Amino acid sequence: MINDAGLLAYQLIPLFTAVLIPFAARRKPGFSAILANAALLAGLINIGYALLKPANLAASFANIKEDGFSLLMIFTIYLVALCVTFFSAWFMEDRPNRAAYYCLILTSVSAMCGIVTTGDFFTLYIFVEALAITSFALIASDDSAAGLEGALKYFLLTCPASLFILFGIAFLMLTAGTFSFENIKVLIASGVPAGAVVFAVSLILLGFLIKSGVVPFHAWTPDACQGAPAPVSAYLAAIVTKISGVYAVIRIAIMLRLFEIKSYHTSELLMFLGMLSIIVGALAALKAKEFKRMLAFSSISQTGYIVLAAGIGTPLAILGAVFHLVNHAVFNTVLFLNSASLEKAAGAGEMRRLAGLEHAMPWTSWTSLIAFLSMAGIPPLAGFWSKLIIILALWDGGAEVYAVLALLFSAVTLAGLLATQKKIFFGKATEACANVREARPALLAPVVAMSVLIIALGVFFPYIYSYLIETIAARLIL
Amino acid sequence: MNPILIPIVLPLATAFLILLISEHTRYMKETLAIAVSAVCLLGAFLLLASALFSRQPEFGAQWVGYGMNFALKADRLSSFILLAVSLFTFLTAVYSFSFEEKGGAKWFYFNLLFTQAFAAGAVLSDNLLALLFFWEGLLLSLYLFIALSKPGQASKKTAMKAFLINAAAGLCLLLGVTITTYIAGSMSMSGISANKLTLDGWAAFGYILMLIGAVTKSGALPFHTWLPDAAADSNAPFLAYVPAALDKLLGIYFLARISVHLFALNGAMQLVLMTLGALTILIAVMMALAQTDYKRLLSYLAVSQAGYMILGIGALNPAGAAGGLFHMLNSAVCISCLFMTAGAVERRTGAGDLSKLGGLFKAMPVTAVCFIVAAAAISGIAPLNGFFSKEMIYEGVLSAGFTPFVIAAELGSALTLAALLKLGHSVFFGKRPEELHGTAEAPFSMLFPMLILAALCVIFGFGARLPVEFFLVPGLRDLNLAPETLGGFYPNPLFWASIVVILTAVVNHMFGCAASQGKACRACDHISHAPVLKEIYALAEAKFFDPYEQFMKRLPALAGIIYKADRFFDYLADDLPSFAANAFSKTSQRFHTGSYPLYLALTIAGFIIYIFFAAHYGGVK
Repeated sequence: MINDAGLLAYQLIPLFTAVLIPFAARRKPGFSAILANAALLAGLINIGYALLKPANLAASFANIKEDGFSLLMIFTIYLVALCVTFFSAWFMEDRPNRAAYYCLILTSVSAMCGIVTTGDFFTLYIFVEALAITSFALIASDDSAAGLEGALKYFLLTCPASLFILFGIAFLMLTAGTFSFENIKVLIASGVPAGAVVFAVSLILLGFLIKSGVVPFHAWTPDACQGAPAPVSAYLAAIVTKISGVYAVIRIAIMLRLFEIKSYHTSELLMFLGMLSIIVGALAALKAKEFKRMLAFSSISQTGYIVLAAGIGTPLAILGAVFHLVNHAVFNTVLFLNSASLEKAAGAGEMRRLAGLEHAMPWTSWTSLIAFLSMAGIPPLAGFWSKLIIILALWDGGAEVYAVLALLFSAVTLAGLLATQKKIFFGKATEACANVREARPALLAPVVAMSVLIIALGVFFPYIYSYLIETIAARLIL
Repeated sequence: MNPILIPIVLPLATAFLILLISEHTRYMKETLAIAVSAVCLLGAFLLLASALFSRQPEFGAQWVGYGMNFALKADRLSSFILLAVSLFTFLTAVYSFSFEEKGGAKWFYFNLLFTQAFAAGAVLSDNLLALLFFWEGLLLSLYLFIALSKPGQASKKTAMKAFLINAAAGLCLLLGVTITTYIAGSMSMSGISANKLTLDGWAAFGYILMLIGAVTKSGALPFHTWLPDAAADSNAPFLAYVPAALDKLLGIYFLARISVHLFALNGAMQLVLMTLGALTILIAVMMALAQTDYKRLLSYLAVSQAGYMILGIGALNPAGAAGGLFHMLNSAVCISCLFMTAGAVERRTGAGDLSKLGGLFKAMPVTAVCFIVAAAAISGIAPLNGFFSKEMIYEGVLSAGFTPFVIAAELGSALTLAALLKLGHSVFFGKRPEELHGTAEAPFSMLFPMLILAALCVIFGFGARLPVEFFLVPGLRDLNLAPETLGGFYPNPLFWASIVVILTAVVNHMFGCAASQGKACRACDHISHAPVLKEIYALAEAKFFDPYEQFMKRLPALAGIIYKADRFFDYLADDLPSFAANAFSKTSQRFHTGSYPLYLALTIAGFIIYIFFAAHYGGVK
């Protein structure tokens, strides 16, 4: 939380580096990439050690004093940001305004760390706005028409979100007189003026639902992802929209203690929207013609699982939602970075022009397959465990219909994803794909690392589980 | 080795050994089979002697567990049946020694010994599961027997028909055994009989299923239809061995077991059994009257005889059951003998059609005498064996109070005799056709079994006390029935009834001969060409009453319906969801145009609904 001074460093160091880059890299533009990578790598090693040091493993994470959710999110943010900057360093070597690009990335990392460590709504709002501004700039950073359109759409369709969040915060101040998560938790648990407070929090929740791209507020995500430069779309889809939206949704779900106090029906609303996202996203992905657009729709569907789990709100469901959020970030990074490699190698993102790339690009093909399978929830990959926990929690919490539907649409997701894999990588190579060559090892490195992580998270799931239990689920009960 | 295993293991091992013997050896397979079946016969004798005079041999081995043990028990009834089975195996082995049209000798004797082994196993089993194992195993040799008896497709088709009908009945039996053992809580027949089941609810269902299995095996209506086809498409040794003898022995044995030993039947079921018996007698014998082929006519008579046995067992009293079992033995002896004469005549003349035969008495006197004795016996002419068994059945049915069934059975007897008179007259008497002038008597290997069987007809007739006292009464004691010993021959009303029956048949035959201008083979045409009956006969010849053929005729349509149903479910489970998903995702593609106003409108509509719900349920109103 905000009073953890130790976590402040994760915000400040990227910010300082962002300020430093324009000066340091004025002569040598390539230097900006090195600086950004170094800063993020340092942060990642730091947070990685903080999480995984032997003492923690020995005590099965019970001795971590900080909020486990925040720590895990910081780890994920640094991980994804490092992958994207490393990829960008080789992917856009000859871009003129590279320094600005890395500045924006580092600033947004800083803003995201602020979001996940803050303890009150107002600070949260400030950082979310900061993140939104850096995102607009990032989407438009390649000066293309599509990028501008995507940025504008993102801005215009999510600005009501800011409005609702602000309005909700004001209402909260009126009714509860406090912004602090801890105080609101106490207030809701005591149940005194709960109705009005819940309404205020619901308004804030609506804002974050829009930001996370839940159906029916999803329309901007495919366009933004398609229009943005390739690494940026990975960054956006994998982490930015999740931190600026879904993270807050889970936070609020924890705060509202939805499972214990069912009478407010916010739970039903949240679950319904989650289920709707799963269905619409999975079905729309089936027929998408463009690889990135298809990924964006699948991403909506996966967000649906997280929101659905947050809606039921039991400790087990929250645990599943958090883990699915991490998994989502990991496999989306792999897929969007692969789509960038594909676009560069084959010169096309439309799926009908791609075919039979399996032999030309074996690494890309295999890593995509692993990510697809993880997204569809195939054991023993990481995505299987998070989906399993979510579905078990739904069944356990009495939402049997949702559990069955979630399972069913998991199969639809699998069908869509495997069909995509088949269209792009299997079969006979088209003419456009005849002379394609595998991406450079440097571009493959982050993707392969993330694929290994997908397998590792699945295989070493017992550690992850005990981490989630000890640092999140066990502390949910006041 | 336990002596009870000899009639099972020895023929089975020899059967496989015979398959290894070269096709070029002469008489080696035949001799081996005859020797082994003789040993089996001897073993069966010893088992029966042991069961009668000392202790009943038993054999038990752990099999699957859960009460499914491989338990054999030679009580007095089953060892008597085993003796009969072994006798027929031995006689058939001898009869086939020089019979050329038996198909490949290797496979014929393999089938013969395999059948002996499995039939012995079925008879000796005390555990219902072991019985089921042997019972279903007989299907294999049944199919092979018919399919390999003649080259060409007809025998394969008939073999498949016989196999399918018996397999369906076998499935019924399996289900019945499952239900029965579940209800009784035991698979051991001696265990179940200690605490008989009554026919109520599921037990009745289980009994009926087992009844279907037993009745089909014995060849009674309505599952007999493969038998006349087999008469045309297979050979005399098979007919004399399996349908005439073994199927009767096994089917009626099992019918007696379940009806008397395992279940306590009620009046309704008794009526069902007796009606089935009477209908089988009459319908089959009516069919026999119209036949013009030697073996085919006999096959219908074989079916009709099963009716007497079912009628007798259905009486459910000691006299009826003893008569049923005795008639089982007698009919097996007589019909088997008749089929053997058919084989002999066919071998020497090459013809089975009655219109091409005639006047063979002088050429084949021994065969003719055997035929006459067996035919007289099966028609119930005193004092041959058939008379006594039928009389016991009638007594049983009368004392149970079902006089109409006795009248039906007497009518059946008259028609049986009429059919046999027609057959005998047209084959052995009358004018001999030109081309049959060089006909010689059958070889000794074929005459020997016929003579034995004909002699048995006489011995079991004049000395009817012998089989009754040594085989039947002790056997029935093992079924917990205590029959009085047979009274002996005296002119009671039933005897006079049999005289009337004989006279009726003779008069009928003379009338028929006169009506058809002396052509003996058309002596029954005045019945089969009678106004209404003619149409019925035509339908029967067109296999209209054959459940198998009717089912097979409807099978394509049925398969079509099932296919349609399958397509429908496939559509529901596969096409419909994928169609819906496709339609939806196409719509969503058309919807996600990138049009900003559309998106905004959607988003705003979402806001409004969300806020309404949040406000409504949040309690702010």
